[in-house]
Amino acid sequence: MKIRDVVIGANASMYYKLNFKNIKGVYYPKTEQDVLAAIAHAKQNGFTVTPKGGGSGLSGACTGGNDQRVMISTLQMKEILTVSKDQGYIDVQPGITPDKINEFIAPMGLKFFVAPSSRDVATVAGILSTDGGGNDTWINGTMRDNTIRVKMVLYDGRLLTVDSKGVRRNDLELEEQLNKIGMTIHDVASSHGTLGFITELRLLIRPTVKEALMGGLAEFPECNVLGQALHEMIRKNIKINYGEVITEAHVDVREDLRPPLHVVEFPVELESEMREIIDFRRLDSKELARMKDVRVKLPKRNPKVGIQVALFEGYGFYDESLIKLQDSIDSVNTLLIEHGMTPFAKYGHGPSKWYTGDNSATYGLILHSREIKPEGKRGQEMFDTVLAIVEKCNELKVTPKPEHKWPFSDEVKRKKLEEIRTVIGRSFNPFLLSPECNDILGSMV
Amino acid sequence: MSYDKCVRCGSCLQFCPMFDATGEEQFSPRGKAYLLQVMDQIEDDEELAKEFRRLLFECSLCGRCEETCSSGVDLLRVWHEQRAKAIETHPEEFAYLEPLKDALANVKNIYGLAAEDRAIYWLDELEDEIPGLADRVYEKGKTTENIIFLGCLMSFRGSQIPVLRSLFQTLEKLEIDYLVMGAEENCCGHPLYLMGNEKGAQELREHNKKVITAAEAKRVISCCPGCLIQLREHHNLEGVEALHHTQFFDRLFEKTKKYDQKEKFSYHDPCELHRILEIKTEPRSLIRKMGIEFKEMDLSCCGGGGLLRMTDPNLSDKIIQLRVAREGVKDTTVITACPSCREQLLGQDLKTKDIVELLSETLDGGAD
Repeated sequence: MKIRDVVIGANASMYYKLNFKNIKGVYYPKTEQDVLAAIAHAKQNGFTVTPKGGGSGLSGACTGGNDQRVMISTLQMKEILTVSKDQGYIDVQPGITPDKINEFIAPMGLKFFVAPSSRDVATVAGILSTDGGGNDTWINGTMRDNTIRVKMVLYDGRLLTVDSKGVRRNDLELEEQLNKIGMTIHDVASSHGTLGFITELRLLIRPTVKEALMGGLAEFPECNVLGQALHEMIRKNIKINYGEVITEAHVDVREDLRPPLHVVEFPVELESEMREIIDFRRLDSKELARMKDVRVKLPKRNPKVGIQVALFEGYGFYDESLIKLQDSIDSVNTLLIEHGMTPFAKYGHGPSKWYTGDNSATYGLILHSREIKPEGKRGQEMFDTVLAIVEKCNELKVTPKPEHKWPFSDEVKRKKLEEIRTVIGRSFNPFLLSPECNDILGSMV
Repeated sequence: MSYDKCVRCGSCLQFCPMFDATGEEQFSPRGKAYLLQVMDQIEDDEELAKEFRRLLFECSLCGRCEETCSSGVDLLRVWHEQRAKAIETHPEEFAYLEPLKDALANVKNIYGLAAEDRAIYWLDELEDEIPGLADRVYEKGKTTENIIFLGCLMSFRGSQIPVLRSLFQTLEKLEIDYLVMGAEENCCGHPLYLMGNEKGAQELREHNKKVITAAEAKRVISCCPGCLIQLREHHNLEGVEALHHTQFFDRLFEKTKKYDQKEKFSYHDPCELHRILEIKTEPRSLIRKMGIEFKEMDLSCCGGGGLLRMTDPNLSDKIIQLRVAREGVKDTTVITACPSCREQLLGQDLKTKDIVELLSETLDGGAD
């Protein structure tokens, strides 16, 4: 075992205590040929394959579980291959970040509109594999909405091109089989590396439109009022360019902010419409930039005493659970406290959009959550809390965001992935779909 | 905050020069912090533990990871502590550092040259050009307002002579009351500090403090940010202000003559100067007062810090080579304000000038 085999386990989720002995190879390919060689090595030795991007996700999928596996990082595949200004796309390798894409195309007056708060480190293939979004997902969609096509390498070395219409490849039989079961880019989105290794993506880029925008800060007495306001914005389909919510934050990390609050940026012509829904204080560009900065840094800040932990990627509040946001949050917090956890901060994107396992879009508030890690709590106990939250979310009609992040807990998604894997093989990240998944994740906390 | 507060978000990866040069996670701050977090799982594997100890010294301690870290982890402190622990528990793995330690213990400089030679090489070179320079060397009984702490690189390396020439010529021209510590100067202790050897560093500092106190200096001035870290933060000087030479000169001028600029300039800001000492405005202010137009280089490391030139010279070279290739500075003169950065730049055949060289030229022949 080499130290590079251990370090590949570094990721932002609470699943980081890996059984390193089962990592049988770590690769940092630069080209598709390098990827093919790495996968061939895995296949020859009967190892599974786990792709890894920036490791900023919270699902634990990039760990590969406990299989004897080869880990393939995309961090050295970060080239921009083609930019078509006329046709509005950019071809990139999988390991590039949204920030780097935008750094490159901004001088051309173009932008790639997917902005997770980890956009400085999250890779585009990783974001597609989790179908991530960000503060403007409400108007610009999730990663799948901004991905035109992907090229993938399968376990047997065959290459696929997948877009919104279906699959293309030279092997007509495979193409026919996959198209028969309706494989599209929707299936690659949120697949958590269970299908193949993405070697190239064609992403949607659009001109940056110069429009007069207004920043605002709305504070609320409690979250039901906030939830109702968000629900109203969604009902009226108000095109907010940036919407971030902080419902609670520990005194150690919230600076001078007084949650619950909503930070928004929208076209100036929508001011009166917005004022009908929320009472906001106008923010100048400096104040808005500071708010955005605080929001980006919140997920990483620690309390003065203790350590923060991300038990759960996020909660998707919509319809009734959004209108009764405070009640829903109270219910979740009660559960957390019962399990010995101290709620630390909750913040997220709203209004926002996400997809459920049947590929239908839902609109509401995506709320991320952090807790203070209790002293002496065993990993399995922490994981039991996660499972209890998933159950609670189902009861509250809140989409447990991992339901689309974690294929194993979304039966529709799971079934479709299984169907595809029957055709292309089951050797990519199989632990996520195995009956032992919960035990494995619990052992890694 | 300790390494256990690292949330492993990975934001440090994009800024770490080690990760940039190697492309592999074990060289990154997140990778190293992660190794510490899972150390209980791997420490029984002696080979892994050894590899980790080696990795701790494959870092230029530029501090960019700490600056980037939104989780507030005191990464520089973590790396210092871990380095100290590694050397203390496994000295045999760091035998290559012994000659350096011996030199510092015996002759108080990093080159192992005779202590009394500290004021020999540059004095030989410069005393004809700068009359009276020999009298500027500190001896017991002499006192001054300003004492110049040259540091080992500037005292012994021929490549630093142009900077010294400019420094002394400028001080003379401005009729500054100054002395150079000369043979009475010990190494500032920075190399030992970078190894986590606080005790050894403290012995060197104590002597320096005595000399500075005996000279009744109000200011100690250094061109070397590493030395200045030690002088300002660790020498416990009482009533003595430790200044970078750019700070000292910037204070003296409301405005200067204009530099007769005939070439393109870029500015490499030394990590230890701007990030650790937080001296950011004075170097730029001084350059601007001379009316010099320059391009800011990325606020990134040259690969010359953290003892990296000793512990992994190939990695150190790769870091500066990548920057040179990326930043398109071959056709410019790179301004800097650190002898160690200067060595890295010269190693790539780049034209480089310390800010004091520009100042000296300006005072000599600049336009009003």
